[in-house]
Amino acid sequence: MPQLEVKNIETYYGPIMAIKGISFEVEESSIVTILGANGAGKTSVLKTISGVMEPEKGTIEFMGKRIDHLDPDKIVRMGISHVPEGREVFHDLTVKENLAMGAFLRRDKDGMARDLETVHAYFPVLEARRGQLAGNMSGGEQQMLAIARALMARPKMLLLDEPSLGLSPVLVKEIYDIIKRINEEQKTTILLVEQNAWMALSTAQFGYILELGRIVMADPCDELMENEDVREFYLGIKEESVRGSKRWKRKKRWR
Amino acid sequence: MALGKLQEAGPPAPGVDTVPKLFWQRVTEWADRTAMREKKFGLWQDITWREYGRMARYTGLALVELGLRPRDRAAIISDDIPEWLYCDMGIQCVGGTTVGIYPTDSPQQVEYVMGHSGSRFYFAEDEEQLDKILEVRDRLPDLKKIIIYDMEGLRDFRDPMAMSYDELLELGKQADQRDPEAFEKLLNIPGPEDTAFLVYTSGTTGPPKGAMITHRNVLAGFHSQRQVLKGYLEDELLTFLPLCHIAERGVTALGMIMNGWVCNFAEEMDTVPQDIREVSPTVFFAVPRIWERFYSAMVLRMKDATWLEKKAFNLAMAVGKACSDYRLHLKEPPVHLRAAFKLADWCVLRNLKRFVGLDRVRMCLSGAAPISPDLLKFYHSLGIDMREVYGQTESTGAATMHYAGGTKFGTVGEALPGIEIRITDEGEILIKGPSVFKGYFRDPDKTAETVRDGWLYTGDVGLIDEDGHVVIKDRLKDIIITSGGKNITPSEIENQLKFSPYINDAVVIGDGRKYLTALIMIDEENVMKYAQDNRIPFTTYKSLTQAPEINKLIWREVEAVNKKFARVETIKKFRLIDIQLTTDDDEITPTMKLKRKYINEKFKDIIESMY
Repeated sequence: MPQLEVKNIETYYGPIMAIKGISFEVEESSIVTILGANGAGKTSVLKTISGVMEPEKGTIEFMGKRIDHLDPDKIVRMGISHVPEGREVFHDLTVKENLAMGAFLRRDKDGMARDLETVHAYFPVLEARRGQLAGNMSGGEQQMLAIARALMARPKMLLLDEPSLGLSPVLVKEIYDIIKRINEEQKTTILLVEQNAWMALSTAQFGYILELGRIVMADPCDELMENEDVREFYLGIKEESVRGSKRWKRKKRWR
Repeated sequence: MALGKLQEAGPPAPGVDTVPKLFWQRVTEWADRTAMREKKFGLWQDITWREYGRMARYTGLALVELGLRPRDRAAIISDDIPEWLYCDMGIQCVGGTTVGIYPTDSPQQVEYVMGHSGSRFYFAEDEEQLDKILEVRDRLPDLKKIIIYDMEGLRDFRDPMAMSYDELLELGKQADQRDPEAFEKLLNIPGPEDTAFLVYTSGTTGPPKGAMITHRNVLAGFHSQRQVLKGYLEDELLTFLPLCHIAERGVTALGMIMNGWVCNFAEEMDTVPQDIREVSPTVFFAVPRIWERFYSAMVLRMKDATWLEKKAFNLAMAVGKACSDYRLHLKEPPVHLRAAFKLADWCVLRNLKRFVGLDRVRMCLSGAAPISPDLLKFYHSLGIDMREVYGQTESTGAATMHYAGGTKFGTVGEALPGIEIRITDEGEILIKGPSVFKGYFRDPDKTAETVRDGWLYTGDVGLIDEDGHVVIKDRLKDIIITSGGKNITPSEIENQLKFSPYINDAVVIGDGRKYLTALIMIDEENVMKYAQDNRIPFTTYKSLTQAPEINKLIWREVEAVNKKFARVETIKKFRLIDIQLTTDDDEITPTMKLKRKYINEKFKDIIESMY
């Protein structure tokens, strides 16, 4: 049985339908990615899973239990941590306090100390800066802090919303290496939402492509990378035209 | 119905025997009237007849400057935009022949049409259409000039063979200033028997053929149509089907100069539903596929309605049906029924029509493919005068249609004035009249095969009923003969299938087989909605078509259709097409019909799996 099963969810922002009925699943300990352009509904999918948004229709099951319509804190307790887009760390708190916030719901002091060590091992820079205000850190460091904070809840599944956003290529690679290590070493399931298709497809095992609130493709990542449409529209690889430059795009077909 | 007073367009002046002469007559008499509208930056902008005339004039003069000789061909490859019409008229006014190419054609298809027609000019909409010709131009010795409408992305592009449309217009303007009488002289060059335009029709066997439509064909066709359908200067059209297809060409380009209809260009195919609501056309031509879509939209909207709304809708439709039954027998409904319809229309139907943008429509036409009679009934019950038109490229569009008040469901109406229809012993429909085309360009063999003794062999099978209405059965070559020897006309069954809101199109198979099967293309929107409402999980389109519940749904629809037919005509098995076909695909026509031959080829294995 898949760890997470999303069935026919529809989510609205007021009168606007952000997700037009989508279904997908995530296997335990895997990395799964959802790709899509701006406004495709990627963030809404994650928000709906973590309980920040409520689906109008459809069901979400996590480890066999219904979690749609549960409050976000209950969902965190069940083992799903959400790293929102734009690294929303608490700017006026120190790194240490930020990490403590991540473990807010936990009472096991020993476990927390062990996890803090693990987190510091993944992100040595956070240990070095533990007393610094989070707001004064660089973008990359803030992103690391946001991931580390989520890990402090010791999640079974991590929802990552565009971890590469606004970071330099070197930092993106560094963060992705750590994401992979977390998945391998902690067996944490990772559901990754990205615009950086290349990074996401080379990290994840399975991918879904979301366009205007609907899934148009669902395949293993190596197959997606070979797909003509994915190559042209997501990886930016296109055949050269006779003139040497080609600006127009052919129609997407998704097959 | 804020149409106000309606004015009919005057007849062609004496001596007006070609399209250019009629066009110029209209430019002169309607100078300040709106000819067409285009949506730019979110606003509908008017283009007057004077402007239309000026653009055509400059285009034509410039082409002559660049070496266009009478009877030369010039091709246009573009979506429907004003430039299409400017160039079409410009080319014809100076004695040239327009060749329309589908903007969805591949470079190889473009090469074929360009090469076969020997076109010397190529009007390209944009970068995309330019790239197609650049790829194949080495093999087109006749090509002289490429003219591009939209130069976006081409600022640094330099090529001795190419120029922008603005540059061309400038050239035409200069020529006009040098010799202001040149254009009027050129107008008289083409004669009625000259080819006004070539229409390439996809042959089911062999390459496309270029049908030569003469000026006489065009004017004759319209003289006869005008007698059965009234056109007014105040009528508004929405133009969105490809202009290189005879149907849209006839309704828009020629409806404009004949009836003074105002053409409104839809922004894109995808925006047609919004555009139609904004324009609210009074005359609307569409292919059955579009009528099916509107029908589904309205039916599904009613499914989401409250109990009371549903009751009101059913009641209103019953009143509408009773009214239309009277009208279809050429009788005026009794006063109480008319009053009831007024009420029903006011309370219910009007809103539904407004929802799809058909609230002002005076006349609807369906053509280019057979439509289900049930669909016609539906629209008539709504109080919409919808008529079916039958014809071919080779008959310059319409040959038969439902006359005003003479709609008979299940038929395609009566022969237009001046047209004769005959049925051969094999049941093939023949057409004779002044709108029958001159022949296929550079193909005397095919021409001799198609037109014999002035009779156009349509390749359609049908009959003429007791009221003189023509009934189309099917394409002669599509008739299925099962291994049991039964003759079956698949399109009757397919039309019934397509009437289901969940089925977009279907191809019935069974030639030489023991029983009939079908390949079905689902209606994506409606089936997805069904899946959502019934909590059927799916990810992609493909997985939707594989969901057992969806297959059950379609099977129920197929069984409902099966009940209407004899046992040998029932569908025993079916498969859903699991890819989304677009107009870029060979399997679908630009007017969005499934192409039997390509479907049979592409889905060979799936078809075999059903036997």
